Amino acid sequence: MSNSLVEKKNNVWEMTLKRLNGTMSLLNLKPGMKKYLCEPRKIIEVAVTVKMDNGDINIFKGYRVQHNTNRGPAKGGIRYHQDVYLDEIKALAMLMTWKCAVAGIPFGGSKGGVKVNPSELSKRELENLTRRYTFEIIQNIGPEKDIPAPDVGTNAQVMAWIMDTYSIDKGYGVPGVVTGKPIALGGSLGREEATGRGCVYSILSALKVSNIDTTNLKVVIQGFGNVGSNAAKILYDLGFKIIAVSDVRGGIYNKKGIDPYRVLKHVEKTGSVINYRESENIAGSKIFELDCDILIPAALENQITKGNASKIKAKIIAEAANAPTTPDADEILKDNDIFIIPDILCNAGGVTVSYFEWVQGRDAYFWSKRKVNLQLRDVMDKAFYEVYDIHKKNKVDMRTAASILGVGRVAEAVKLRGIYP
Amino acid sequence: MLRKIECFIQPFKLDAIKEALIKAGVDGMSVTEVKGFGRQRGYINGEIPNKEVKFLPKTKLEIVVDEEVVDDVTKLIVKLARTGKIGAGKIFIIPVEDAIRIRTSESGKSAVT
Repeated sequence: MSNSLVEKKNNVWEMTLKRLNGTMSLLNLKPGMKKYLCEPRKIIEVAVTVKMDNGDINIFKGYRVQHNTNRGPAKGGIRYHQDVYLDEIKALAMLMTWKCAVAGIPFGGSKGGVKVNPSELSKRELENLTRRYTFEIIQNIGPEKDIPAPDVGTNAQVMAWIMDTYSIDKGYGVPGVVTGKPIALGGSLGREEATGRGCVYSILSALKVSNIDTTNLKVVIQGFGNVGSNAAKILYDLGFKIIAVSDVRGGIYNKKGIDPYRVLKHVEKTGSVINYRESENIAGSKIFELDCDILIPAALENQITKGNASKIKAKIIAEAANAPTTPDADEILKDNDIFIIPDILCNAGGVTVSYFEWVQGRDAYFWSKRKVNLQLRDVMDKAFYEVYDIHKKNKVDMRTAASILGVGRVAEAVKLRGIYP
Repeated sequence: MLRKIECFIQPFKLDAIKEALIKAGVDGMSVTEVKGFGRQRGYINGEIPNKEVKFLPKTKLEIVVDEEVVDDVTKLIVKLARTGKIGAGKIFIIPVEDAIRIRTSESGKSAVT
C-alpha cells in the first residue's frame, strides 16, 4: 500500500488528536488548555538544498516541529524517509511530549524529518543534506532548546554531522545539541540498545502484573531494525523463545525458536531476515497471526489495523514502534482482552537514555554501561507502575492510562508556568 | 567499580557452581551455611503450609568481582542454581567501595584478581 493511501485512510495526526481529545475529556481540562495542548508551539518547514554528486541541485523538504517545551527543552528524533509528511511529524512531536512526561524526564516533545530516501544518496550527499538541514534549523535547536536524536533512516554518524555543524556555528564544541552520538563524541553507553532494552523491561513488568511465568514464552517481532533486533537479543538472553521476526521484505518463522544473533549475521550479509536457513519464509502480513505470547510491533505506524487485529493471538502487545495500532484496532484488541503496553510507555527507553546522554554531556562525566542500564530499568519500572496504577484505579485501558499520566503532567506544567505575558 | 555478588542458593547446588565459577576465571569466594526463608516461607514443594514461617538451610556465596564481569558471573549462577522450583534462591549485587589484599596491600581491582 502506498503511503498516500495510508495517509488518506489513517491520518496519523487526526488519529493522535482524536486520542488526545479523549484523554483531555477524562482529565476535565478547560477548553483553553485543550486548545493549547493540541497546537504545536513551533512548526519549521525548510527547503534542504543539496548539490548532488552529478552536479545537479536537488531540494528536499525538511521539517522540525516543537510541540511543547513546558517541562523542559524539546526532544525528538530526526527521520529521513521518502514518505515523511508534515502531519506525521506533528503527531510524532506530540507523542514525544507525552512520552517524556510519562517517563518523568524533564523534556518537551519535538520531531523532525526530511523527505528523502537515504539509501539513494551517496555518503557525501547524505552528509551535505544533514549539514544543510541543520543549518536551516540552527536557530531553533540547542541543548537548552531542542535536542535531536536518531530515528528512522538516521544514525550516530548523522548525529555527529549535526553536532559538528552546530558546533562550527557556535565556535566551540556543543555535544549536548544531539543525543545518540557516537561514543567517541560523548555518546552514552547503552544508547544504541536502549529502546529495545526499555521495551523488554516493560514486558517483564507486564508479565509480572499479569501473573504470567516468564519461562518458555513465545515472542514474535515485526521489524528487525535497531529496536526489534535489540529487543530480540535481550529477550533471547533471558530465555524467551523468538519464533518469528520480519522486516520490509518479509518474515521468517521457526516454532522451535530463532537465534537473533545469527539472524543479525544473516541480515548483515544479505540485507534482510528472509531466507535465513534455520527457518521458513512467511509473508510479512502473516506475522501478526502467529500463535505467540508476546507480539512486538517494532516497525512503523499503522501496522495493527481493523483488518488484522482480530487475528492476533498474543496475550501481550508491546508497542516498540510509535503509533503501530489504529484506534479501531484498539477496540478489537480491548474486546479480546489483550494487554497492551502503549508506545509512549513501551518505547520510552530510547529517550530516557538520550536524557542520560544529555545529563552526562552537561556533566562531562560518563557512566558505566551497567549504571545506564540500571537507571533505565528504574525509570521504566517507575513509569510502568504509575501507568498501571491509573489503569487499575480509573478502570481505563493501558493506552488511556499512559495518556492520562503524560497529558496530565504537561497540563500541570502549563498551568504552573502560566501563559506569557 | 567492584561489586559483591551475594547469592543464597540451595546447598546441593554449591559444588557445580563452584566448579563452573572457577572455570570461568573467578579467583575467590566465601561460603557460609545459613538459614532463611523467602516467598516459600520455608516450605518445600509438596508440604502443606500453615501459619508458621520456617527457616530452611541455604548456602550463602559471596564473590567480589569487577563490574565488567558481574553480568557474566550472575548469568552463570542463575543458570546453574535454577531448580525450576520455588526456593531456588536469590542474588544480590552490592557496590564495594574498595578492596585490599592484606599480604601485599594491593587495592581495588588488583586486590581481587
